[in-house]
Amino acid sequence: MGLVCRLLEERGIATTYVATGRDLTALVKPPRALFVNHPMGNNFGPANDPETQREIVRRALGLVETVEVGGTIVDMPTNWTKPFAFGPGTG
Amino acid sequence: MEPIRYVDILSEHYRSQGNPPYRWSIHDDAPLHRLDKPLRECTVSLLTSGGVSQCSMPAFDPNARNDHRLDPIPADASARDFQVHDNYYDHTDAESDINCIFPLERLRELADRGEIGHVAPRLWSGFMGRIYNRSKVMEESGPAFAKALQADNVDILLAAPS
Repeated sequence: MGLVCRLLEERGIATTYVATGRDLTALVKPPRALFVNHPMGNNFGPANDPETQREIVRRALGLVETVEVGGTIVDMPTNWTKPFAFGPGTG
Repeated sequence: MEPIRYVDILSEHYRSQGNPPYRWSIHDDAPLHRLDKPLRECTVSLLTSGGVSQCSMPAFDPNARNDHRLDPIPADASARDFQVHDNYYDHTDAESDINCIFPLERLRELADRGEIGHVAPRLWSGFMGRIYNRSKVMEESGPAFAKALQADNVDILLAAPS
């Protein structure tokens, strides 16, 4: 999806990418990214927590006005406390 | 908590399956398109790669490889009208609240509050699973997606990979 964002940006559409994988994001370098240290699948926060979700959406969209260098990754402060892991799945 | 090292985990996973070393897409820099208007005047769309489809549509293949399916989703879709099929991540929370990965209700609220101009008429779900044929993304599915966004006068795409 980072590649798609790069392509869209070259065609005049600004993109902002809400990532849960910081290392993956740093390699592919989408034009702007907000890194949220949550489990993959909770990019915008916990279920039924509209305030957190809204704040992450707001921060991500705000990057369109503030980022001046392509490939910038901004770290989102988070109060997610429950430890989590990642299994690579079956594919 | 330290960020999870996905690159190491996935590289080892691919190697353990007997594959040659995975070739990550690595870039030194990135393009940047600056907008000439404020956020409050922008039209915003949304993209998830989390195997999300409306209940009236077929499920995504949860083990998808090289699946370039891309579903348009009406901006006014009900947040309760979604199913999630993707074996590459834990979508328990997303199934109880789709806004965890596809925050269409939050986007509509920001438009109602005047923080963004409009929600685009079509939101999007696709590019899920593992896509190895990247040239097809760059030459076919990506450019087709750009045209669809341009047809909807989209200024900003909020993209959420999973």
